[in-house]
Amino acid sequence: MAATDLARIRNIGITAHIDAGKTTTTERILYYTGMSHRIGEVHEGNTTTDYMEQERERGITITSAAVTCEWKNHRINIIDTPGHIDFNIEVNRSLRVLDGAVFIIEGVAGVQPQSETNWRLADRYNVPRIIFINKLDRTGADFFRAFATLKEKLDIVALPLQLPIGIEDKFIGVVDLVEQKAIVWEGGELGAKYHDEPIPADLIEQAKEYRQNLLDTALAVDDAAMEEYFDKGDVSVETLKRCIKAGTISGAFRPVLCGTAFKNKGVQPLLDAVVDYLPSPVDVPGIKVAAGEGEDETAERRRIKADPNAPFAGLAFKIINDKYGTLTFVRVYSGTLKSGDTVLNTTRGHRERIGRMFQMHADKRQEIKEVVAGDIAAFVGLKDTGTGDTLAAAEDPVVLERMAFPVPVIDISVEPKTKESIEKMSIGLQKLAAEDPSLRLRTDQETGQTILSGMGELHLEIIIDRLKREYGVEANIGAPQVAYRETITRAHTETYTHKKQTGGSGQYAEVKITFEPLERNGGVVFENAVVGGAVPKEYIPAVEKGIKAQAETGVLAGFPTVDFKFTLVDGKYHDVDSSALAFEIAAKACFRDGMKKASPIILEPVMDVEITTPQDHVGDVVGDLNRRRGMIQNQESSGSTVIVRAHVPLKEMFGYISDLRSMTKGRASFTMQFHHYDPVPRNIADEIMAKSA
Amino acid sequence: MSAPRLHWMRGRSEEGPGIARALEWIGLDDAGKAIARVVRLKGPIWANWRQYRAVALDDEAKVVELRPTPPEGADWLACVGERVVGRAAVPLAAVRTVEEALNGD
Repeated sequence: MAATDLARIRNIGITAHIDAGKTTTTERILYYTGMSHRIGEVHEGNTTTDYMEQERERGITITSAAVTCEWKNHRINIIDTPGHIDFNIEVNRSLRVLDGAVFIIEGVAGVQPQSETNWRLADRYNVPRIIFINKLDRTGADFFRAFATLKEKLDIVALPLQLPIGIEDKFIGVVDLVEQKAIVWEGGELGAKYHDEPIPADLIEQAKEYRQNLLDTALAVDDAAMEEYFDKGDVSVETLKRCIKAGTISGAFRPVLCGTAFKNKGVQPLLDAVVDYLPSPVDVPGIKVAAGEGEDETAERRRIKADPNAPFAGLAFKIINDKYGTLTFVRVYSGTLKSGDTVLNTTRGHRERIGRMFQMHADKRQEIKEVVAGDIAAFVGLKDTGTGDTLAAAEDPVVLERMAFPVPVIDISVEPKTKESIEKMSIGLQKLAAEDPSLRLRTDQETGQTILSGMGELHLEIIIDRLKREYGVEANIGAPQVAYRETITRAHTETYTHKKQTGGSGQYAEVKITFEPLERNGGVVFENAVVGGAVPKEYIPAVEKGIKAQAETGVLAGFPTVDFKFTLVDGKYHDVDSSALAFEIAAKACFRDGMKKASPIILEPVMDVEITTPQDHVGDVVGDLNRRRGMIQNQESSGSTVIVRAHVPLKEMFGYISDLRSMTKGRASFTMQFHHYDPVPRNIADEIMAKSA
Repeated sequence: MSAPRLHWMRGRSEEGPGIARALEWIGLDDAGKAIARVVRLKGPIWANWRQYRAVALDDEAKVVELRPTPPEGADWLACVGERVVGRAAVPLAAVRTVEEALNGD
């Protein structure tokens, strides 16, 4: 594929808060681009991208789905992502591999918590984006109020390219500030028919004001455009579009469009904006290679540019298992790959042979023989490639920047209903965990139970449901448990000698280890400070392995221990009786003894909770949050409703929805997402320890 | 904005790698005399063991420190002669400020 063809590709994501209209917008896009011949509706359970049974039954998006369509001679690869925070991993990995994104904001509520979370994620990956203020047909919709929340909550320079004509049930179209015209939808034909007309007289002054703002902001990114303006008193549409695209890619401002996808108005100009303003693979700086060991994470590093003739490099960003086997979704950053080629998995250091390749259209697939830089494809038959792994050509074995995954906060125990299903359950859960990096699987060392950790109650409920439907395993599950962690609060150095001599070859190992607390999210860090060969270097990995394994079971209540550093400072060995196993055993025992003396504490996940409640129930809601150990962060009025934001320990939030409903007669709603880990109060720590004893 | 009263041209540009962006726009009257400028503020800048929160170049290209520091989002100074007539986030808005000041004179 030539560079000119690459310039006609757009890899975009559609993302937003729950129910802001992502899937509905995607459905219209597929219809207007001719990819589908009917418009599916979320509430009817027949949309293209929500193809899983659970998605259709519940009317929510659970997994991101890739679809491809054509608009004005451009190929647009779209990933529709879930809105619910429990499935945030899907947004995370999609934004990682996309060149641009459409953020959908609800026209009534404006920016909502999940929009904010996703916005910050897109910031992390420097994803250029445009904003679509949706649902302007709804009662209470207000374009300007929703627009104001962009500045308030996201602190961005938002730049309207359109203004609404009418609002709520009188919303009929938009004023296009770039081409200075009105676009009006005629009704019927599912929104496919619309026409241009002059800007309505009552909007001319407002349109002038906003167009001047558009020129002021957009032309500031391009001196040549400024000169054109000074020469002619205005700029051509092409010049203005060039400036808007440059500003969108650099992040100088964020273009804002509007409409109502459900009522089929505003989607075609949104597609035009995707083509005109979001970057193609050749417009972006290219993906960075990962920092080498010991290299500064923030240092300037080589970037892989989209070039079909360069050595192959791609990133596996999603894995799904279906009846045909494992499908690995790969974003190709450079080179060209054909079926039958062999590549290196540079993350794990082995070769992978490429079998069949597909372009995906939600759950349907079309076989392709080659894939080139800038595109997204699904590979079948990769043996050992996980999410976030790099595939690269042997002649340039680069490792691309890895993805960051969220921390699971809820645990449940799972056991099959029948003994015969034990193996099936184990295989099923392992495959589900391979698909979903925000799902962790472990065995409780004391009880032998299988523990599944996930992002929330809904997340785990869907996993158990999938285990039943896709793997035929009915499971008993325990009540959801908070995923507590343990850590230490002061440094301590412990020496432990493991000595066993009961005839035959003995075991001998002595380790002296310093345990030190790290900041929150510091992980578990190992340093070897042994000098003079006091511990031979072949035994050092065993010490690290022993501590890390033992850290899975903390000394207070058996929860994983995090955020600490351990330094092997000294030790002793015996020429005959020492072995890797002896050092591993010594390290484990040293951990158990040492951590108890390093003032261990238990940490609990604290959630960022946002409750939208009618004014007359605010007192009840706030009082209830206080009883749940909540810390109110702020309260904002928006018309007759109040938005209360608080930090509340997850432990206190189980079953909250039913309490909230009964407290407010079903009129309030809430969302929550993980915020940070905090030490639990002493009385609760005692309770937790007593339970685990 | 009505057609500019002055003839505006690019002034000094930023030095360094990448595309050189204008640091100032100069407004000329019909006789070709420079009577106004819009100038981009820069900062914070470290120089001579001191941090300057906001600086601009005067019409002789000397660095001038601004005190007090302009509010956020006021990156361009609008100047008529030696006089600062306003501030704006973007150069075109600063140009408009200059033109309005001249119209008011």
